[in-house]
Amino acid sequence: MKIFPKHIRTAATLAVAAMACALSSCHDIEEYEETPRGTFEQLWTILDEHYCFFEQKGVDWNDVHRRYAPRIADDMSQQELFGVCSDMLNELRDGHTNLVTPFATSYYRRWWSDYPQNFNRRLVQEYYFNFNYRTAGGIDYGLLPQNVGYMYYSNFSSPVGESNLDNILAYLATADGLIIDVRDNGGGSMTNVETIVSRFISERILAGTICHKTGPGHGDFSEPYAYYYSPAEAGRIMWFKPVVVLTNRSTFSAANNFVSVMKSLPQVKIVGATTGGGSGMPFSSELTNGWGVRFSASPVRDPEGRLTEFGVDPTEGCAVDLDPQAALGGTDTMLDFAVAILTK
Amino acid sequence: MAMAVAACVWLSSADAYAADTEANAEAASAAEKAEIVRPVNSSYMLSVGSSHLGDTYLSPLKYTGWHAAFDYDRIQAMKFSPERWRQQLRISVEFNHADNPARNATLYYLNVHASWGMLRRWALPYNIGVAVGGNAALNAGCTYSARNGNNPASAKVDITVGVSGHATWKTRLGRMPVMLLWQTSMPLTGAFFSPEYDELYYEIYLGNRSGLVHWALPWNMFRWDNLVCADLDVSSTRLRVGFRSRIFSSEVNNITTRIFSYGFVVGATGDWMSVSPRNFPSKETMSIVYAY
Repeated sequence: MKIFPKHIRTAATLAVAAMACALSSCHDIEEYEETPRGTFEQLWTILDEHYCFFEQKGVDWNDVHRRYAPRIADDMSQQELFGVCSDMLNELRDGHTNLVTPFATSYYRRWWSDYPQNFNRRLVQEYYFNFNYRTAGGIDYGLLPQNVGYMYYSNFSSPVGESNLDNILAYLATADGLIIDVRDNGGGSMTNVETIVSRFISERILAGTICHKTGPGHGDFSEPYAYYYSPAEAGRIMWFKPVVVLTNRSTFSAANNFVSVMKSLPQVKIVGATTGGGSGMPFSSELTNGWGVRFSASPVRDPEGRLTEFGVDPTEGCAVDLDPQAALGGTDTMLDFAVAILTK
Repeated sequence: MAMAVAACVWLSSADAYAADTEANAEAASAAEKAEIVRPVNSSYMLSVGSSHLGDTYLSPLKYTGWHAAFDYDRIQAMKFSPERWRQQLRISVEFNHADNPARNATLYYLNVHASWGMLRRWALPYNIGVAVGGNAALNAGCTYSARNGNNPASAKVDITVGVSGHATWKTRLGRMPVMLLWQTSMPLTGAFFSPEYDELYYEIYLGNRSGLVHWALPWNMFRWDNLVCADLDVSSTRLRVGFRSRIFSSEVNNITTRIFSYGFVVGATGDWMSVSPRNFPSKETMSIVYAY
């Protein structure tokens, strides 16, 4: 005697077949051996499939593999493997690309170490403010004797609130101009860029474009997406008087983006040195042996559609370096240049 | 003033198990003249077991660890055809904690599931029951890696329609009534969310919404939940012990996600009847149609 009617048996058979087909198509994830060779190949592949600036930097990643793969040996130590992998990543000349291990993190430093530093924070604190400056929301601020306001923002990771900006701009409201010093600002959160820029615009502006990789091919990118910033909400204190943004080569990543947006505003001049770039928003990944890797994955362009990975130049006629000799005497020639522009 | 509140009664296990398929059939035939009472079978389950996570948006590695979940399952005969049709509501919350192969990074997965479905039930010989139907389901979850900077999390949200079913066998273990139950469900189509390959959520926050919603089909988003358990008649409520597997696998925008969890289940289940004290049916006119 058959327990189940025919249609039940048919349905059950079809269901089991469908489930078997579906299960067999469960999507797999490629695995790599935890050996020096496997680690190297995995790292190379992650960058090959995700890194976004091969073309702009003229890097032939296959050629990099050809040159570095012979340096991998099965019996090499973790330290030796780290050295080879770090050298390989440095071929990308990218400050956003790091290999993170328990004993060291790789950095490509030549994007700033090959340039003058152009900044001494204590010089400003001591000789321009005699250490009498205020700090709010990660921003040091004060009024210079020439009736010029000064804000120093060291890190876009420091949260800056609307109330902080209200108080800072109210305090500096009587000044004839404002200097926003972002020298040595290595970046942080892009939302802080928007928070600050929104105090200097009277209408919605094009802030830039952003795109991302859509697949593992070197040319797989989305269409650039234009993004906009709007003025701060009604009731907030705004600033439409002249502004100078002070930059150096260590102005990087989100700070570099801040400079690129501010440069598009008519009342703003960029003074100092070309910024350090870092316009590829970084992604994180990891290797089977537990090492982490970070790399540029999502290019951001300025409002003109230009890639700022290699930095943002000062406004024409506003390139200036810090004179080391003058600095010894307590003078920041870049800051003085900015004050001169605002007090003309 | 007459009290109009409902009186709720846990039906004894003996009542429920007496309602085998033949009794249900009798109830069905008497349905036209009897007042039909449709007890709710409610189950509360905890499961703990292993977790296997992979989400290439966050990491190319497969993570392993543990998972814990709470499931609420409610099944009841439907009013329009109580002898044939059941409605089922499922709500669950699942948490997974898994480490990478080097055990120096952790991936978390939290998901809330809700589904409602209708099942056609057949009473077969030997106290076997089978039900097959469809359901609509919503899953809202997220994977999270504390290790990552700009890509720390990935939302896993889908809304689907699919098939579900169960099979029961009412038997005895020695003198103790036992019901063996297999429940299964699988979405067939719907929509699900995924960012693009290397798209940051910051870009989505800026307003780029293109390419985020995808048509779900079993070959790009596969989900299959199974519960195999035994309901042991140890008291007025029944003890449920068993095993549950949840399989989720998707591949879209060159992003692969695998979330597998397997766990032992323990819970309580029982039949719950809600009647008005003003119109409490008499035993002579009452016909009870149990969910199982």
